[in-house]
Amino acid sequence: METATHNEVSGGKRLTSAIAFLFLGVAVVATVGYTLHSVSADSQKKTYATVNGSASVDGKTLPHAFITESVFPDDATARANHVNRTNTHPWPFYTDEHLVLPAHSLITMTLRVYDGGEKLNHDYFAKVVGTVDNMMTVDGQQVSSLDPTEVQHTFTLHGLPTSTQDPLFVNVPLPKVQDADMEKNGSHLVVFSFVTGGAGEYVWNCEYPCGDGTYAKFGAVMGQNGYMSGKVSVVNG
Amino acid sequence: MANSSEHTPEVLAPTPGERLTNFFKRKDVRRTTIHFFLWTALFVVLGLVYYPRWMPEIMSKEMKSAESIMIWFTVISAPIAGIVLAIASNSFMNMHRGDTPPEDGPAIRTHGPIVAIWTVGSLVFALVAIGWGLIEVNSQAVAAARDAKSAITVEVTGSQWLWTFNYPAQGIETHNLNLPVGVPVIFDVKSADVNHSFWPVQLGVKVDANAQVTTVIYTTPTKVGAIDVKCAELCGLYHAYMETDGAVMSQSDFDAWVLAQGGHKA
Amino acid sequence: MSTLDKAHTSTRPVPNPKRSLITRLHMGTGVVVGIIIAAIAYYLLKHSVLTYTDGVADPLEPHSNNIVLLGTMFAWSIGFMAGIGAFIGPWRWLIGKDLTDEEILYMAGDGQGVKRYFKYCTDHKVVGIQYLVGVMTLLGVGGTMAMMIRTNLARPGGHFVTATVYNSLVGLHGITMIIAMIIVATGPFGNYVMPIMIGAYDMAFPRLNALSWWVLFTAIPVLCSAWFLGGIPTGWTAYAPLSVQAGPGMNAFIATIIIFAVSTAVAGMNITTTVIAMRTKGMKWNRVPIFVVGSTISVALAIPAFPTFMVAMIMTGLDRTYNTGFFDANMGGSGWLYANLFWIMGHPEVYVILIPGVAALMEIVPVFVRKPLFSYNAAIMGFAGIAGLSILVWAHHMYIAGWAPSLNGAFMVTTEMISIPTGLLFLVLIGTLWRGKPWMKLPMLSVFAFIWDFLIGGITGIYLSDVPADGYLHGSMFVTAHFHFTLMGAALTGAIGGLAYWFPKMTGRMLDEKAGYISFWFVQIGFNVLFFGMFMAGAEGQPRRVMDYAAMFKNSNLVSTIGAYSVGTGMIILLWAVIHSSRHGKVAPMNPWGAKTLEWTVPYPVPLTNFDELPVITSDPYGYGKGK
Repeated sequence: METATHNEVSGGKRLTSAIAFLFLGVAVVATVGYTLHSVSADSQKKTYATVNGSASVDGKTLPHAFITESVFPDDATARANHVNRTNTHPWPFYTDEHLVLPAHSLITMTLRVYDGGEKLNHDYFAKVVGTVDNMMTVDGQQVSSLDPTEVQHTFTLHGLPTSTQDPLFVNVPLPKVQDADMEKNGSHLVVFSFVTGGAGEYVWNCEYPCGDGTYAKFGAVMGQNGYMSGKVSVVNG
Repeated sequence: MANSSEHTPEVLAPTPGERLTNFFKRKDVRRTTIHFFLWTALFVVLGLVYYPRWMPEIMSKEMKSAESIMIWFTVISAPIAGIVLAIASNSFMNMHRGDTPPEDGPAIRTHGPIVAIWTVGSLVFALVAIGWGLIEVNSQAVAAARDAKSAITVEVTGSQWLWTFNYPAQGIETHNLNLPVGVPVIFDVKSADVNHSFWPVQLGVKVDANAQVTTVIYTTPTKVGAIDVKCAELCGLYHAYMETDGAVMSQSDFDAWVLAQGGHKA
Repeated sequence: MSTLDKAHTSTRPVPNPKRSLITRLHMGTGVVVGIIIAAIAYYLLKHSVLTYTDGVADPLEPHSNNIVLLGTMFAWSIGFMAGIGAFIGPWRWLIGKDLTDEEILYMAGDGQGVKRYFKYCTDHKVVGIQYLVGVMTLLGVGGTMAMMIRTNLARPGGHFVTATVYNSLVGLHGITMIIAMIIVATGPFGNYVMPIMIGAYDMAFPRLNALSWWVLFTAIPVLCSAWFLGGIPTGWTAYAPLSVQAGPGMNAFIATIIIFAVSTAVAGMNITTTVIAMRTKGMKWNRVPIFVVGSTISVALAIPAFPTFMVAMIMTGLDRTYNTGFFDANMGGSGWLYANLFWIMGHPEVYVILIPGVAALMEIVPVFVRKPLFSYNAAIMGFAGIAGLSILVWAHHMYIAGWAPSLNGAFMVTTEMISIPTGLLFLVLIGTLWRGKPWMKLPMLSVFAFIWDFLIGGITGIYLSDVPADGYLHGSMFVTAHFHFTLMGAALTGAIGGLAYWFPKMTGRMLDEKAGYISFWFVQIGFNVLFFGMFMAGAEGQPRRVMDYAAMFKNSNLVSTIGAYSVGTGMIILLWAVIHSSRHGKVAPMNPWGAKTLEWTVPYPVPLTNFDELPVITSDPYGYGKGK
């Protein structure tokens, strides 16, 4: 009996030990949280649209903002085009992941696209939806849709339908670069404009099945942030 | 406190009526009865007040049916919950503290009639729930078959991570789900990739979207208003954002919307 | 009472089987051999014909990455088992040189002190403690992930973590907790206490007992590796074809389930055999303590249930490696096949989790109320009824799958019938409480919490079992709240009650009462706040497993997150109490609660063979009370 009892500790010591342990536990959980958060934050670098002048849409004058990015089949092609980036995986990617756009503005987005392509899983995404007049320009020509078998990626912007945030939906299919041109580092220039509502948080992703070799080709690159998906923040002022 | 072992049923009155009266005269039984009414009331209030307040606007018969099941099953089960919680809470308040165990209680090993009543009671409760459910399921199926001829069809496609809606008779394909009020609608649901679950929230129906097979649900919107469409089956990276909205609108508004989308009257 | 070491040294000399390999193997050698075998497997698979690809993008070409990863994980598990000495016994038997008595005593850990917890030890009491530590570790990991999930959901658009990380958190929280909860009562108490309760010297198959724990142990690093392989996007249900599409982290999930299924099959068979064959003289079936009955029914239910999950995972693995197309509709397979296989396991499984927790509380109530268990027969009928019906209800998870709408009615009937045996469990508890004066110690508190939590879980389960209501509620936060009320509020509360109750027998010391009370209220109040918020969010229409939500759900989610932090705080306090009390707690008498079951008739430390002479039983252990 004596051998065991002498291990018992006094009330004050017990309380100190318990409080210290509680802090330790909270610290461990907080450290895990901080680690996960900072790992996540790394890939969420923001890209801002720049306002330059104003434009008239449907009789209303709106600030006109511009944003430019590129789509590459892999980081080697990107470096060949003087975009410095090293990816963990040899996957296609949009150069900018988190776009910040001004509210109640006309946004003109310019995409330089370098990737080849194939057939969509769902033909709907070959249509241009949600841009001004549901049109875009491809290498200077106005088009309203693409052949669903000739698409490389799509820029599809959407969000949560809520009472507190204006709906925003944009779908733009990107024309594929023909295989022969791929070797010559060919590309297309896609330009489209859309109007933002009030401030809100949205996401964008690609609807072209580019996660090769997996079910519906939506694994790999399509299942991880940082390549073919990202956020869009519409902000006031 | 109310340890009244002298009131055990055998010692007590000859007639069942007297036994019952005496039973309810016992202090612990009275206290338990008060607890019973309080707990029952809590569940009745939860069912009648809170569920309707939390749940979205009812815009179809199916939604009405889902909500009434939640409300009335809560109310029906309230007395059962009341009994269980009353005995538990009364026992809790009757606690013994200290470092030695309390005195032994009465050696009640079982009570045939109580076990029988409890079992039959829960059987009846289960049968009510089953009967209610089966009648609802049946009447929904009958209504769907009856309304099929006058219904409009919407082909719903889930793809990672968007919903699209094709109205074959109107010749339009959209990202928003608009429906005319009072017209039965058939949703033919399929998936372009993995499983999704099509959930027009305020219409109270839901069905999974699968690749290569079409699943069907029916409903009739009964009220004009906004609806949310969500995905209720985890479908990968942006499952959370697989949402869109739409509206139930008057027939004329619907026709105008169809025309604006480049479609035609069915 | 003597100390641990005394008991093991005083009775007889420490067995010392000279030159036996057994004496040299332990967890460390297991890890080393496991890593070596895994590395060899990795190298061979990477360069073998099994993973041959010609570089042409053929959709039917094997996915070499998945083959290599799965093979490496299984090789680790087998290598570890070899390295810890699991195969020595069978091997010696095979070549006709069975283990000597000296070696068998050594394997039972006789006289080895703390070291035996890190060996392939056959003593059921050692395995019980190993399971307890394992369960607490898993609950801690799963709980930490729950805190991350709730932090991300604290406000809309919060984006505390990215979608990839969030989805992995959801899936890995789910599977970690499911594994922990399956073993939470039958692991520690089923192994440590149950053989003593039935008056047995040990389990029926002591070496298989060690096998079940160490096989499970090898699954833990495999599961953790999912984090470093890109996570899983599927939730713990791992629905195909999403699981077929998923990244390399999914392989870790598949390997974990297959390894875990082996462990539960071995453990289930062992516990069932022990209870059937090794009850002491006089312990007829109607004298078996209710916890033993509950655990046995639970593991017996797991024996037929888990293999279907294992099969489903093998098929998913084949789809992911060799494009077998079991679940790919484009190849003639079906995702519904997966869903059926999964839920044929999935619904019995929730009762595998629930029953031992309830049974532990039923063991506790009579002791603390000092009354016989009310209607032992109703308790047996309740467990048996639940177990029987639970194998007939799986497709209530698929009402809205579109798979067989005309079967919905039938599954609704079987599902709602479960409320009858479940009602019997409540009757047994309240019948025992009736007219009693409960001795308000820690184990007893859990009983009251259980009654409230399980009642809420049960009533909300009734709406979900009703097809039209499920049409609205399925896949919403309401479902998440419902099953947390049953699995956490009921089963985990039961297991915590069991821990407080058997703690003196397992550690020789009393669990710190004050810390236990504080923890209890933090956990229970926090738990109810957390999941009432989630019921609200679900009723409002928030889907489950979402990383972000519309602004209309912000209040209910904030409430949930606040509740979650309270639960987390309480759990940390409980963990402190367990660790602190096991070393510095008040020394427990042999029978601190005055209970009548056999485990309280043996001293602490429990002797190697539990009893010097097996006791003879003449009545059931519930002979409390005055009169009759």
